[in-house]
Amino acid sequence: MTNQIILDSGPLINLSMNCLLNILPKMKQKLNIEFLITKEVKYEIIDHPSKINRFKLGALRLKYLFDKKIINHAKLNNQEINQLRETRNRITQIANTTFKTRNKHLHILDKGESAALALSIILKEKTKKNIPIIIDERTTRMLCENPENLRELLSKKFHTTIKANTSNYNEFKDFKIIRSTELAYIAYKKGFINSKDPEILEAILYGLKFKGCSISEEEIKEIIKL
Amino acid sequence: MQEKNHILKILKKTQESLQKKDYIRIKSLSDKIIHQASTEQDPDIISLAIIIYSLSKLIERESYKTEKNWNKFYSDYIKNIKDMIQALEKNNLEKFRYEIESNRILIEKLSGKLKQFIEDVFRKARVNKASKIYEHGISMEKTAKILGITIWELTEYAGQTKTGDINLAVTIPIEKRIKIAEEIFK
Repeated sequence: MTNQIILDSGPLINLSMNCLLNILPKMKQKLNIEFLITKEVKYEIIDHPSKINRFKLGALRLKYLFDKKIINHAKLNNQEINQLRETRNRITQIANTTFKTRNKHLHILDKGESAALALSIILKEKTKKNIPIIIDERTTRMLCENPENLRELLSKKFHTTIKANTSNYNEFKDFKIIRSTELAYIAYKKGFINSKDPEILEAILYGLKFKGCSISEEEIKEIIKL
Repeated sequence: MQEKNHILKILKKTQESLQKKDYIRIKSLSDKIIHQASTEQDPDIISLAIIIYSLSKLIERESYKTEKNWNKFYSDYIKNIKDMIQALEKNNLEKFRYEIESNRILIEKLSGKLKQFIEDVFRKARVNKASKIYEHGISMEKTAKILGITIWELTEYAGQTKTGDINLAVTIPIEKRIKIAEEIFK
């Protein structure tokens, strides 16, 4: 049976920049994984960067995977597409009214991140499974896994008290999230990385961290010890 | 526009620092607008942070200064900052926003190598300020959109910062997250 996984733009850009995209076809084929992206993510990883010389090569690598159906749009009917749009807008609205400075709500999420969360919700209703999401950026992950930590972080950074509408926290609590680093760890463990170098795992994890995956050095050290 | 006085104070300090060519202070002054830029997400405030940060780079580097039209560009840039201060002192927000737009036109009017140099300074300033806003807890996509840059530029730059290393960002133990991953890919 196929397992579906939703990818945000960050991990795909990161894998492309680190020349690690070749793990995706192997995972799809050997582990029967279906990698899904939203139309917002496709715009960020293929359509838009294809027009920028500096990022064109990375975008073309991703386009190749999209054309080969290694990464796909979810198969949704018109009703589900409408539902996805409505859910995305609802999530954006809730996320952006969760935290407040003295007089203003903080707009923390955009449509792309919300769409990935919304797709997980729509697919959960359809398949009765909690479809995981791969996200490298910090804010969405913190909002889902520990919104109080996010509130505290915002308070520290803005040097002011941040009030939270804690009833909104429930909207985000059920998402299952991993990062590109955990994806690479699994690829390494399953033998999908073409290198026998004993330091390859460490090199990959740091490579992903320095291209934007929100992971601490301590976490990397712990993964290597596992 | 909220906290007009704060912006005015920053601009005046920038002007002071300019006389001493203190680009380090000017750089740090541009960061002081970031709190407000992150909260308000007002394009003009964000542009101002970029204008001030770029100014620090223009003073710091010597390479542009031999370029034709540099002197005129630099004096117009300084005058532009002075005009912003005057507009805020008179509480004329419309004029202040007009001056922000004038700064963009100033660069648009340049040509040749100098235009390339200055555009490069501004592009890098945008990415730098985006990374600061991302550090403040605004999501990557939202930040990229506010600053008009791509996630590709931001992810690369943000990766060099310590955003993932702060304790608060470790939201679940790594063993647990690895278990989740193993469960997904079993």
